[in-house]
Amino acid sequence: MDQQEFFGVPEEAGPTIADGRFRSLDPRSVGLERVEGWIATGCVSAGVLFGILIFVMVSRAPAWVTPLLSVVWLLLTLGLIWHTLQWPELAFKHTSYKIDALGIEIRRGVIWRTVVNIPRSRVQHIDVSQGPLERRFGLGTLAIYTAGTAHSMVALQGLEHTTALAVRDHLLPERADDAV
Amino acid sequence: MQSERRLHPVSFLFALLGHAKQLLVPGLIVLLGARSGGDGWEVWAMVLIVPYAIAAIGRTLSYRYRFDPSELVIRTGFVFRNERHIPYTRIQNIDSVQNVLHRLFGVTTVSIETGGASESEATLSVVSLEAFRELRARVFEERGPTATAIAEAPPETVLLDLSWRDVALCGLIQGRGLVVLGTIFGLLWEVGMIDRLADPLFGEKTTGRGVLTQLLLAFFGQGLPPARTMLVTIAAFGLFLVVVRLFSVTWALVTLYGFRVRRVGEDLQIEFGLLTRVAATVPVRRIQAVTVQQGPLHRLLERASIRVDTAGGEGRESAQSQRHTIAPLIRQTEIRAFVHAINPDADVDPQWNAVHPRGVRREFVGSTIVALFTTAATAAMLRWWAIPVLAAMLVWGWMHARGYVRSLGWALTESVVIFRSGWLWKATTVAPLAKIQVVSLLESPFDRRHRMARVLVDTAGADSESHPVRIPYLERSTADGLAQALAAHAARTAFRW
Repeated sequence: MDQQEFFGVPEEAGPTIADGRFRSLDPRSVGLERVEGWIATGCVSAGVLFGILIFVMVSRAPAWVTPLLSVVWLLLTLGLIWHTLQWPELAFKHTSYKIDALGIEIRRGVIWRTVVNIPRSRVQHIDVSQGPLERRFGLGTLAIYTAGTAHSMVALQGLEHTTALAVRDHLLPERADDAV
Repeated sequence: MQSERRLHPVSFLFALLGHAKQLLVPGLIVLLGARSGGDGWEVWAMVLIVPYAIAAIGRTLSYRYRFDPSELVIRTGFVFRNERHIPYTRIQNIDSVQNVLHRLFGVTTVSIETGGASESEATLSVVSLEAFRELRARVFEERGPTATAIAEAPPETVLLDLSWRDVALCGLIQGRGLVVLGTIFGLLWEVGMIDRLADPLFGEKTTGRGVLTQLLLAFFGQGLPPARTMLVTIAAFGLFLVVVRLFSVTWALVTLYGFRVRRVGEDLQIEFGLLTRVAATVPVRRIQAVTVQQGPLHRLLERASIRVDTAGGEGRESAQSQRHTIAPLIRQTEIRAFVHAINPDADVDPQWNAVHPRGVRREFVGSTIVALFTTAATAAMLRWWAIPVLAAMLVWGWMHARGYVRSLGWALTESVVIFRSGWLWKATTVAPLAKIQVVSLLESPFDRRHRMARVLVDTAGADSESHPVRIPYLERSTADGLAQALAAHAARTAFRW
């Protein structure tokens, strides 16, 4: 820890995260989202197929039900596959965040777009967590807790782990008011 | 060291009754079940609960508290001892609840809450009324900025004092009678009286009976019942409405009798209740947002009701949730003074900014789609009635769209943001900028097409009945500017619980 940081004087020793620029998530998050998507697609598709098979075998449905259900299942699976292939890229392009001296602003959403602005002085506490998949990709999730009701917790997934830690260190009020 | 105080001698009785109340319903079920042939082992099992009750009574007897220089120290337990230190500066509320039994003995149950917790830090069940007043005075004095003698009373003003007529009027407007009626209906059902009442209403045994069935059949076009039955039905329905209103008034009189709000130093003290008397304390700085609500009946009588959101401690019943309504009924002329006493910067009638006028069209399109869907879904049942019903829904949709969007308004001053909405049920919310938590902007695909957006201001302590600041149909540039300004204001101020 160099002298300036120790005495709490905000010196710009190098490129800092709080520069007020809009940043994207880590590109590896697209891969992570895809992997999660494949898992979800597999589970849902297999589950629905299982349900349909049981239904067809057990119930005395007329002959035309089976091909209809198969078509429905096929459409569902194709829809999920398309979603897994296309959506993570789209979501990545539309997600960005900006950190400055006042707080953090998060923009996300493809169809329903939101801009969430959390002032630094309103952050209660912050979690940085990593699931097993996230650890493999080197990513982390930032969870910001506030005293609000609708936004009592704001989560940002797909950040690089060290970046998430840097954001947390910048946003926590104790560190900021550490003037000696 | 200060002397230790104990709870009131009758507190063991309340502990016993508290446990008995918990065991009452399961106990009845067990007893009734055991009677219908079993070994009766369940009854013996209940006896085992007695030592548990004795332990609880022992806890009550071992409860001691004392006033140290900077904190309240509470010690409990003989075998498993616990000592709790609560700094006076952390104490937010000291509430007292008295039900009929408490009033009989002149005691009360006191709950002490600190900021941010959803549970009471300490519950003193029960202490005498003087002990409660002493506790409140001591904590207030220690919490205040200057140490004053305990004999000196803090500045006190009465903000609201409802007479029994006002409370009755409040009951009439609120209309909680249906809830009471529903409870009574449930009780009657349990006891089996509904069977006896069902025949006159639904049965068709003799002529002149089965009123409700006849009415329903008539509605679906299978012949009108005789005029005499119709008149009797209408009269009965009118009587039903009157009875419901009477229940509302009685309910209000019982729960809100003697409603009084006083500002004592930095706290609001609220008292109400006829049988169960509640005395709640709300520190003014804990109030997050103030909402003034006016329904059509309120407007007719030139009254309104005021509720607040308080930070910390949500999800617990009794004094907590009731405290949200700090003025169940207040005269329109007194609103300004009342709100000023809570927040001197608040202004319930500022220079309003309107929202985008095209919002009317958008709102109407929304309600048209809903109307079309519902009519299509019920077309089979309604048949040719569907056309006038659809027309009526469209007319109502247009009136609602115009009224609602025209009623939307917002204002931003140096210290508060104000938002109003609703044309039939009006609500105006004042949120201090220092209490803003998170500012967000939401843009739906329809918003994007019209270049509009919605701004949401998040505050602490809002619940399902709150009126949060959510401003729709703002022009995109206005929304951006407003969101940035609010966030900047919030960032500049520190947030204190």
